[in-house]
Amino acid sequence: MGHEETDRGAPRGSRPGFDSAGIELPRDRLSVFFPLLQRGVEVLADLGGPLKELLCGQFGIDEEYVTGRITTIFLDNRPVDDLERTLIHEGARVTLSAAMPGLVGATMRRSGFYAAFRQGISHEEEGGELQAGEGVIRLKLFNLLLPELGPLILGRGVILHPEQVEVLRNRLAGGSDIPAAPAGVAGDSRRVLLKVTCTG
Amino acid sequence: MDKIARIDMGAAGGPKVTVGPLGEYAGLGGRAMTSLVVAAEVHPLAHPLGAENKLVISPGLLSGTTGSMTGRLSVGCKSPLTGTIKESNAGGQAAQVLARLGYAAVILEGKPAGDDLYKVVIDKDGIRVIADNSMRLMDNYPLVAKLRGEYGDKVAYMTIGTAGERKLLAASIACTDPELRPTRHCGRGGVGAVMGAKGVKAIILDDAGMKMRPPVDPDKYRDANRKFVEGLKKHPVTGEGLPAYGTNVLTNVLNEAGGYPTRNFRSGQFENASDLSGETQAELEIKRGGSATHGCHRGCVIQCSGIYNDKDGNYVTKQPEYETVWSHGGHCGISNLDTVAKLDYMDDNIGVDTIEMGVTIGVAMDAGLAEFGDDAGAIRLMEEVGKGTPLGRVLGCGASVTGKVFGVERVAVVKDQALPAYDPRAIQGIGVTYATTTQGADHTAGYAIATNILKVGGDVDPLKTEGQIELSRNLQIATAAIDSTGMCLFIAFAILDQPETFQALLDMLGGFHGITMTGDDVVALGKKVLLAERDFNTRAGFTKHHDRLPRFFYNEPIAPHNQTFMMKDEELDEVFNF
Repeated sequence: MGHEETDRGAPRGSRPGFDSAGIELPRDRLSVFFPLLQRGVEVLADLGGPLKELLCGQFGIDEEYVTGRITTIFLDNRPVDDLERTLIHEGARVTLSAAMPGLVGATMRRSGFYAAFRQGISHEEEGGELQAGEGVIRLKLFNLLLPELGPLILGRGVILHPEQVEVLRNRLAGGSDIPAAPAGVAGDSRRVLLKVTCTG
Repeated sequence: MDKIARIDMGAAGGPKVTVGPLGEYAGLGGRAMTSLVVAAEVHPLAHPLGAENKLVISPGLLSGTTGSMTGRLSVGCKSPLTGTIKESNAGGQAAQVLARLGYAAVILEGKPAGDDLYKVVIDKDGIRVIADNSMRLMDNYPLVAKLRGEYGDKVAYMTIGTAGERKLLAASIACTDPELRPTRHCGRGGVGAVMGAKGVKAIILDDAGMKMRPPVDPDKYRDANRKFVEGLKKHPVTGEGLPAYGTNVLTNVLNEAGGYPTRNFRSGQFENASDLSGETQAELEIKRGGSATHGCHRGCVIQCSGIYNDKDGNYVTKQPEYETVWSHGGHCGISNLDTVAKLDYMDDNIGVDTIEMGVTIGVAMDAGLAEFGDDAGAIRLMEEVGKGTPLGRVLGCGASVTGKVFGVERVAVVKDQALPAYDPRAIQGIGVTYATTTQGADHTAGYAIATNILKVGGDVDPLKTEGQIELSRNLQIATAAIDSTGMCLFIAFAILDQPETFQALLDMLGGFHGITMTGDDVVALGKKVLLAERDFNTRAGFTKHHDRLPRFFYNEPIAPHNQTFMMKDEELDEVFNF
């Protein structure tokens, strides 16, 4: 388990740094992170580009998977239809979900047959200059995407606030084979960039 | 299914059973049967709890066969909650067993002169109506346990709890699941109160000695069913999402969209929604030795239900559905799944609609009877319903009555039926359906999302906003048709995306009945049902002015989108122009 200082995540010096840590976790124990991923975690991202570039280029998710599996996407609580034209900004809240049941599930689908039902809340890109460079966005994963994309996102690293680390430590405490969270982190007022390596 | 049984509960000398041919109702099942019988035979101005009303119980067109997903049972009447025509359906074993016994419908008519309680026993030898006052004031779980002692475990039970016996307007009719738990409910519209008014406490369905209904073309039917099942299993919603998480998988998504009505429709987001989510619920169920994957009837391949245990591994209730978790959860500011599960059990046991009761408790919280987020307070209010106290009777009559009694302005009902778990200010299109459906606010009235395949009303551009009226109309037509087949509505997801699965469904219907069915036939059936329902409501005194949402949806913007319901009245009035 590593534990080091880094200033990654700061937009070229303007953002405070955070500790960096890494843990290894068996794949079947990765679910301890799912509540956090449901509520949303911060991740590093290159800003100003389209959502599709974030998913495929930066996260490295296969394009076919994005098209066929991630059928419901929200940006800042607004359902997204066009991945090419939707741009990522500092502090963007990106939520990814697989296909949902029900009329409303179908309504929320990207470019779905019932998209008209969500008149007024669908995302419409306003254009304009967006801040470029590295920044922090908030990412949520729902349902089938938790086990499927969780390892990828956690392996890339998630930024945790002290209270999130504390929650995680409590959940980790149940497994004797799971390493404890970095010593001293919970009491640290700074954030932690945690990378989780899946084993097994 | 070549006969209809009529049971005159008010006949001189005691209940009288008459079994006859289908006559003008030949070829009908499910909602088509219940609605066309009610529309033709019930006086539209009849008192819903009086002798003139009828309770029509009908399995679907394919119920009782080897086909998958065919186990929905429809119950219809004039609703005591809404005053409109009502069809309410449920899973469980009842539809399969009743269909195998050969009944396309069982109709409870009249009203007994005395206050005796009856049980109706239906088996291969016929129908017997037996007075049994030992059932009085029993709730569903103990009642079914008592009946199992008499009739065993190889039957299906339909029962009402104390709410139905007291004729409360939110009362449901319970159908037992494969484990003989009274967990599947015809919930909406107070159908349990109508059964209570007929003096019928329990219906025992015993298909011993009966066989599966045989198709006219067995090879075609078997092949179509195989393709249908393959389609369901390969689709990500019916083959993965629903089996893994159940319908409660919607909590996170609705909350993210800002369409999750919170604290009696004050906000579109609940800060603790993830504590209630299907993902969290499934993990908890598995950890406690329950199950996140379970079918409500034999022959279900989607398995969207589950078993919810307490922390010690003891059964509490079946997996609460999304609408239940919402109504008792975020709508009341409650974020504890154990509390929601307990309330779900109480709903099932007392015999009330989970949506109506959850919304009612939220209204009661608005009135100051408990604080939002008060778990114990919510349970206490439900206990009042179970005890039948004066307060409990008010609450058990639903959100509209409770709002009037306590002077609450923000009461989310249409035609006096509580809105389900999707805020129409965030999802405008579902507001169109809530406002205009023949059933009162009901998300399942426009649920059959396969309208693109059905080509109901032609193509609509999904990304243009003006298509919402057409989409709602098409959805309502398609749903009325699917409700008549006895198929679970959740098949709609696979049908939406996979034309070959829709064709398999048509081939199942065609193979079973020896006919060729097309999408046009399905659409024609849906229109026929809807128009009959609409006509009944018109004769009952309903006008276009009843097809509206409560004013606060037009006047109070909801966070996070700060949007009101924007559909114009003239647009809503176009829905039934077909």
